[in-house]
Amino acid sequence: MSNGGPSSQTILVVGGGISGVSAAIEAAEAGQEVILLESTATLGGRVAQLNRYFPKLCHPTCGLEINYSRMKKARNLKVYTLTTVENVTGERGNYTVTVKTQPRYVNANCTACGDCAQATEAKVPNPFNYAMDEISAAYLPHEMAFPMRYVVDGSVIGTPEADKIKGACKYDAVDLDEREGSFDVTVGAIVWATGWQPYDPAKLTSYRFDSSPDIITNVEMERMASHDGPTGGKIVRLSDGAEAKKVALVQCAGSRDHNHLPYCSRVCCLASMKHAAYVRERYADANVDIYYIDIRAHDKLDTFYQRIKNDPQVNFVKSKPASIVVNDEGRPCVKGENTLTRELYEEPYDLIVLATGMEPAVGAPPVSLTQDDYGFIVPDEGEEDSGMISCGVASGPLDVSMSVQSATAAALKAIQAVKGAA
Amino acid sequence: MTAEKNIGVYLCSGCSIGEQLDMSTLEGVAGEMKAPVCKSHEVLCSREGVKLISDDIASGDVNRVVIGACSPRVMTDKFWFDGTHTVRANLREQVVWSHPAGDEDTQAIADDYVRMAITQAQKTDAAEPWIEGEYSETIMVVGGGHVGLTAAREASRAGYPVVLVEKAGELGGSTKDWKKVVPSRPPYREPEDNPVSGLIAKVKGDDRIRVVTGTTVAETSGMPGKFEVELSNGSTESVGAIVVATGWRPYDATKLGHLGYGASPDVVTNFEMEGMLASGGIKRKSDGNAPKTVAFVQCAGQRDPEHLPYCSSVCCAASIKQAMQLIEADPDVMCTILYEELRTPGVTEEFYRSAQEKGVVFIKGNVESVDGSLKVTYHDDLIGDDVPLEGIDMVVLATGMIPNSTNPDGEDMDLEEEKQIYIKDDINPAAPFDVAGYAEGTEAPEACARPAESIPGGSSILNLRYRQGPNIPILADGFSDSHYICFPYETRRTGIYACGPLRRPMDSEEAAKDAAGAAMKAIQVIHGVKAGRAVHPRSGDLSYPKFNLDICTKCRRCTVECPFGSIDEDEETFPQMNPSRCRRCGTCMGACPVRAISFDNYSVEMLTSMAKAVEIPDEFDEKPRVLILACQNDAYPALDMAGIHRHQWSAHVRAIPVRCLGSVSLLCISDALSVGYDGIVLMGCKSGDDYQCHFIKGSALAKERLSKIEETLQSMMLEKERVASMEVSIADSAAVGKMIDDFVANIVDNIGFNPFKGF
Amino acid sequence: MNAPTPTRKYDLGFARWVRDNIDHAERMNMCMQCGVCSGSCPLRNEMDNGPRKTFMMVRAGMKEEVLKSSTLWNCVSCYSCVVRCPREVPVKYILHGLLTYAIEQGYQEAQDTDNYKFASAFWNVAAGSGRVDERVFTAKFYLKYGIGGLISKGMANQKIAMGMIKSGRMPLFAAPHKIKGKGDLKKILAKAAEIEKTKHASLRDGER
Repeated sequence: MSNGGPSSQTILVVGGGISGVSAAIEAAEAGQEVILLESTATLGGRVAQLNRYFPKLCHPTCGLEINYSRMKKARNLKVYTLTTVENVTGERGNYTVTVKTQPRYVNANCTACGDCAQATEAKVPNPFNYAMDEISAAYLPHEMAFPMRYVVDGSVIGTPEADKIKGACKYDAVDLDEREGSFDVTVGAIVWATGWQPYDPAKLTSYRFDSSPDIITNVEMERMASHDGPTGGKIVRLSDGAEAKKVALVQCAGSRDHNHLPYCSRVCCLASMKHAAYVRERYADANVDIYYIDIRAHDKLDTFYQRIKNDPQVNFVKSKPASIVVNDEGRPCVKGENTLTRELYEEPYDLIVLATGMEPAVGAPPVSLTQDDYGFIVPDEGEEDSGMISCGVASGPLDVSMSVQSATAAALKAIQAVKGAA
Repeated sequence: MTAEKNIGVYLCSGCSIGEQLDMSTLEGVAGEMKAPVCKSHEVLCSREGVKLISDDIASGDVNRVVIGACSPRVMTDKFWFDGTHTVRANLREQVVWSHPAGDEDTQAIADDYVRMAITQAQKTDAAEPWIEGEYSETIMVVGGGHVGLTAAREASRAGYPVVLVEKAGELGGSTKDWKKVVPSRPPYREPEDNPVSGLIAKVKGDDRIRVVTGTTVAETSGMPGKFEVELSNGSTESVGAIVVATGWRPYDATKLGHLGYGASPDVVTNFEMEGMLASGGIKRKSDGNAPKTVAFVQCAGQRDPEHLPYCSSVCCAASIKQAMQLIEADPDVMCTILYEELRTPGVTEEFYRSAQEKGVVFIKGNVESVDGSLKVTYHDDLIGDDVPLEGIDMVVLATGMIPNSTNPDGEDMDLEEEKQIYIKDDINPAAPFDVAGYAEGTEAPEACARPAESIPGGSSILNLRYRQGPNIPILADGFSDSHYICFPYETRRTGIYACGPLRRPMDSEEAAKDAAGAAMKAIQVIHGVKAGRAVHPRSGDLSYPKFNLDICTKCRRCTVECPFGSIDEDEETFPQMNPSRCRRCGTCMGACPVRAISFDNYSVEMLTSMAKAVEIPDEFDEKPRVLILACQNDAYPALDMAGIHRHQWSAHVRAIPVRCLGSVSLLCISDALSVGYDGIVLMGCKSGDDYQCHFIKGSALAKERLSKIEETLQSMMLEKERVASMEVSIADSAAVGKMIDDFVANIVDNIGFNPFKGF
Repeated sequence: MNAPTPTRKYDLGFARWVRDNIDHAERMNMCMQCGVCSGSCPLRNEMDNGPRKTFMMVRAGMKEEVLKSSTLWNCVSCYSCVVRCPREVPVKYILHGLLTYAIEQGYQEAQDTDNYKFASAFWNVAAGSGRVDERVFTAKFYLKYGIGGLISKGMANQKIAMGMIKSGRMPLFAAPHKIKGKGDLKKILAKAAEIEKTKHASLRDGER
């Protein structure tokens, strides 16, 4: 604004993962009005789907619980789930944002009692478990859902199942007539915390992801190891349910590759070492091979690497596997050249975990943002920003701690924008 | 405080509560407890249900509310009555969802939870905040290098006044004269201009920032919103919060003789190379000639138990940048970078590629030695050959960063142990494996060797006049990091935030963001304490510990055990609370042997009264009673989630959420045993070096205190197994039920009932 | 166009010469030694070093070892390495470029391989007549092992030859295949050689 300063003191945060939640709370606790938008039915994003964090191997839900309780006390913070940004007009200090809403088919009357889920036979792929299992068509997104409210899957709308679901609700919480909608908000700054999505493993053609159910991705491994995941925390071959005691962890599945994601996704090496610990936590006689180009355990995280390296049953193979093939016994095998011994290998495994990289999830944003070639939203040059700030993995491949760091910084930048800092 | 406590009890019969419990019995309990108002509603969270409550509040009939419905973790927005003290009884997740319907034992839990909630309402009040005197909004930034300059500027741009204190005679720090930095902007291919000189100009031209150079901090006292900082120049500053950005210094290369440092003047450090690049014209010190072949040795004295055990993060990209600068100046220069793991994470990968395009050669191998003739001996891993690299004109050692958690130029501190707060095992790499566990039958891998550590030499940066010592806690390897992944600005000295390479090795772009993040936290704490509100993790809490000094025995346990150093001692060694340093965990309350410390809405009295409100069946009923004191953040939610999954557990337990296990006094335990509880479980998170407690040491303190209770138990002729601590994480919803059942079964089968029953 | 012979390890002279003079080698610097090329190579077992190590050896200035290497000869141009390389290094092309140079430089070790004999016989026949006649080609190829070689190899492959004769794939008495305008073919080849030379000359002059 050229005269009179910003016309709105409200900060809009787009994305309710750990970065968006952090940015929203940090700004709210400094007294700002904040609106937080999340595209899915619950906050928590990707971290809610992780079993543990590296290097402490603690549970992400612990931090989420703290953040949720902070949010419950922050009356100046409004949360909207199932919403996305459709359009943005205006300028720093004065944006009009059109927010699109998707139907949940469940209103605020919901008590999360679960009667609706009991009422229907209809099942849908469980998005929380990356569709590795099915869930009732009326479902609570997960045990730490925020808001603690059910969702009716759109696929049953118009079917008799929907009527059963509605009929089971004692609180008049199921609203089958909900439709897409939109509303406008006026805000002074926008924080883009739109996060990431796992790179599509089907694009890694030489790894033949679809050739065996025992080839999974790193995010699927997180769900498998989680107590509330598709296997109840057991690490098994999905083909026959047998214990997975010989496991390959393939790094740079998509990352550092001009054919896929040219950048390094930063977290995969450390996440894979954590996965090695998951396997070793389960089975005394398990063996884990980690295939890698360079182990990127930066800063103090190197001690985590040194520690895992000391495990005689975890073997580091410096090699980017050339291909994955299924052998005559139906076992998937990792093939390639060990660059240190110069030997060729073709090794069968119970389970092969592809460390797929992180892709920015923002896609084509509804407003012109400065993006790099990879799609990460980068800051405007110089101190003076446009009032649109990115943080977390929307801004680059970061780990959780760095994401929260950048989210806290973004909260400050947003406050500067709504205060009209020169 | 409100003279009369008019308690309204509101019971919800929705979500199967009404189907599984007898509501009239519950109402009867409210009557027994003499609650003047008791109402039931079939959907208490509905508009009509909430109106029922708010109408009673508006009419003045009720001034504190007890809600018997779902868990206190849900429906918080609906059961929010501004200014009215509200207490919740968890009848849903932890009663009807986790116990069989229509069972008398299930009814008994519900009855007890209503009794406990009414007792809680009787024994507590809505918290009144501590607000006193003047507050300063000024933010002090210590350190005038890149990070400090950024922090100062960011805070100022949000409208806050800043005083920037720099030890040296001028701003800019050690990187001031560097020409280039690793690129932060797309296309990430070329070194960028060093932003420091531009920042200095902006800071100097900023009216809100006052720069004090050639000055250090002599002493810091007070608390957030009210720090009094004495500077070495004799002046005093009143500041609201402090950002510490003292940065880093290079590792002492004279310890790297095996890599040729000292043996030849042409073996230089990366830090010295920056100086040469800044002055223009790279010349060999030996003969003044421009080098034509330059070898960069990565991890020089890093990832090495003899030197620095960690990776300094930035050296790979820094060497790449320096090689590019050399090639830029003379395209014929041959640069080789010898690495073990090439670490250019994130988009820096493009910078690596750009260097390859420019002809920089990368060799993987562990360098064993560099001699005086610059012969570099190493094993070439990728060719599989032991090769000496000869004919090199200059060797650059990529030495690491040491955090300036103390002032190395100052005199060493001579601190008694309890004032050191040096947590060397804090990121003990062994610890994660204790957390996740390793399968039975295998041993967790051995820890890597680490150098012996002690508190770093030099003087204190802030010289805090705190009972717990002058430093902000220093963690392993000397960094002042946060212990938490989710909360990088967690601090054990409220209102004081470390940032940049002081926290952990980081590059300049990340450090700039970190500076903004720390400035954000500084602004936030000032905003909070002015209104008497706590900051993370109990953000917004208005309660604070009040001391009854009449009964204080000056035992000093509270001043020693406070995880945040909030409590000092006055001249008479009475505890002296600094409320805005307090994070409201209640550790002091748990430490106090005489109940001298309580919060308006949380006290030992409250906890013991709630425990005593439970009806203890006599021995002949053969129904034991076990009290669970569960950490509010992990164990209690795990119980809730077990309920959401409809897992069942013993009906003989009664759970009370506590702020932190650190707040549990032994008095609660002995009182509970004396009224006939057969067992007591303290449920908290992982303790030990790699603790998960967000109040630092709650579960550790609980264990320590329990180890001391054995004697008391013996004097009461009770078995020590009656009292246990259990580690329950928030992800234990599937396991916690069995843990409880096993404990109860052990009491019934092996230990027997408490002989104090019925007394 | 002689490559410099390094006197010590990691003298980048050879690597730079390769970069500037060998077709497509300008991206060779981009190799990050991940091993995908060697792991993808169906003939990796026939190679002493494989492409990945070969690139590292070029960087290390191991000129002799590289040019004598069986790796250069055993590439069958399947392109797996080119398709999969995460750094878009045209691996196959660089190996062929190095091979061409090794031949030019008359590396004896190179000329002793079966592949060299096969290829030179093939080229000789193809360039001479514009077509490859199986009879002429086999005879020339086997003769490279001397008269004894001709007889023993001929005998060893008798069965194959009979089969080809029976199925009409190798006529016994017709004159060898030839193309029309053999002179034009010679001119084309001469021109190609000339272009090749000038290109390399201009590369050496730094026109890149």
